[in-house]
Amino acid sequence: MKLNWMRKQQLTGYLFIAPNMVGVSLFIIIPALFSFFLAFTNWEFPLLKADFVGLSNFKRLIQDEVFYTSLKNTLIFLGSVPVSVGLGFLTALILNKSVYFKNALRTMFFLPYITTGVAIAFVWMLIFQPENGPINSILRSLGIDHPPGWLSSTSSAIFVFDIIWVWFLLGYNVIIYLAALQEVSSELLEASRIDGARKLHTIRFVIWPLVSPTTLFLLMTGFIVSIKQMGIFQAITDGGPGNSTTVLSLFIYKTAFRYYDMGYASAISVFLLLIIIAITAIQWIAQKKWVHYS
Amino acid sequence: MRKLLTTIMMFIFAFVMIYPFLWMISTSFKQPFEVFEYPFQWISDQPTIKYHENVWTGPASFVNYYLNSLKISIISTIGAVFFAAVAAYGFSRIEFKGRDTMFVVYLVAMMIPNQIIFVPKFIMFNAIGIYNTHMALILPGLFTVLGVFMLRQFFIAVPKDISESAMLDGAGHFGIFLRMMLPMAKPSLATFAIIDFSWHWNDFENALIFLLDKELYTVSLGLQNFVLENTVDYNGMMAAATAGMIPMIIVFLIGQKFIVEGLASSAVKG
Repeated sequence: MKLNWMRKQQLTGYLFIAPNMVGVSLFIIIPALFSFFLAFTNWEFPLLKADFVGLSNFKRLIQDEVFYTSLKNTLIFLGSVPVSVGLGFLTALILNKSVYFKNALRTMFFLPYITTGVAIAFVWMLIFQPENGPINSILRSLGIDHPPGWLSSTSSAIFVFDIIWVWFLLGYNVIIYLAALQEVSSELLEASRIDGARKLHTIRFVIWPLVSPTTLFLLMTGFIVSIKQMGIFQAITDGGPGNSTTVLSLFIYKTAFRYYDMGYASAISVFLLLIIIAITAIQWIAQKKWVHYS
Repeated sequence: MRKLLTTIMMFIFAFVMIYPFLWMISTSFKQPFEVFEYPFQWISDQPTIKYHENVWTGPASFVNYYLNSLKISIISTIGAVFFAAVAAYGFSRIEFKGRDTMFVVYLVAMMIPNQIIFVPKFIMFNAIGIYNTHMALILPGLFTVLGVFMLRQFFIAVPKDISESAMLDGAGHFGIFLRMMLPMAKPSLATFAIIDFSWHWNDFENALIFLLDKELYTVSLGLQNFVLENTVDYNGMMAAATAGMIPMIIVFLIGQKFIVEGLASSAVKG
């Protein structure tokens, strides 16, 4: 009777999980494993044959200049994450206690996060238009005769994406920090004030350590979301001018679906996955050393 | 006084945050020569709804893209919420062998970037004949990893004795799931549904890779196509962008409370 019940429990458990498990395996896990296999072949779409080429795709990768350019661009793009997290912390700190209309402000900050797709990317494209766009018009009226070429210049284009991305992530960072600040007890904050600690001191040595789990969470999820981002690059510049806005994810897309070099594209995507695993590993280690749990 | 000053400064900052949206809407009602005029005017001297009319009734109408996006987003979201809720119940309320191992598999699956699965999916969809159909977006969209996480968090928080007493009364897991847990989880289901819908609506990458025919395009893809074909029609571009964003702005205004609380609780507690 007891054994029967347990077996039934087991079966019910599998039944509940099976539908989603099958879908996730079919559309995520098995394809990912298959990419590992493809990375060691020279398969080109739509050929029906592929040869096993060992590590040659990876050897090609470390000699490929575009790979280093896109790696560099990816890193510059990821720089927007800590900026946005830091700005989000300060914004949340101010919104938390010292403003009227807190909810209205929060809504305004959060709007970009939920509504952003390719549509807003095109708006930014026009705002940064080099000749007459609003940003450069303002800069000129402030007396800057030669404002940056923004998206049309190889040296500044990637930074436009940084700006867009700081803007995009900020609302999410703000609401997560606001939630975290609710957990910081106000008595603790009051106590440090009575002790004579000055405001900045309180922020630096009391609040900042207390929200460090949130900071770590936002940094890591921010890095992972950003490293996967490809849409806005494809839509606005398609990696140009030159390769100045080609990031790893776009490099993979182009290699696979413009040049149909599927084996090589798979090798780059394996590399991308390794970076994500490394970020996750760092998160685990940092959690022990840096984060203060109260 | 100091609080008032801070409030004003924060409103200026917040204005910068929503500036692109305001600029977009303003430009969509302007004449071409007014787009880049300086000093900038929010309201055109000769406002026109021509560009908005074109979006809906012109030769490059967005109606079809809209219907495609709605179809894909709605079906995917309903499926994703259902399958995620069922799995989340299994992971949180039923004890069985291998459960935790399987959950680790989910943890790993969360890290996998889209870029690594595009090529195998492309091969698979070609082989089963759904490449260049809406099924190529809907079918994978039915299954999410993150939804399972979010809803599992919620189910874990529901006290065990509630379902245990129902079980003593003879209710099975399916009954408890349908009649007790789902009604209780409504706010969490709504949160996840809104977030999931926004992913599908804003999704550009999958549409770009798996759809070829123009009749099948989603709003994002149609928008890019419009920009490529009309590189200097800035007013038209902004009217189209506004149209593409309307559903998300509506969803945002209705569901903001759900989204904010849902995201915050899953991040801070998780």
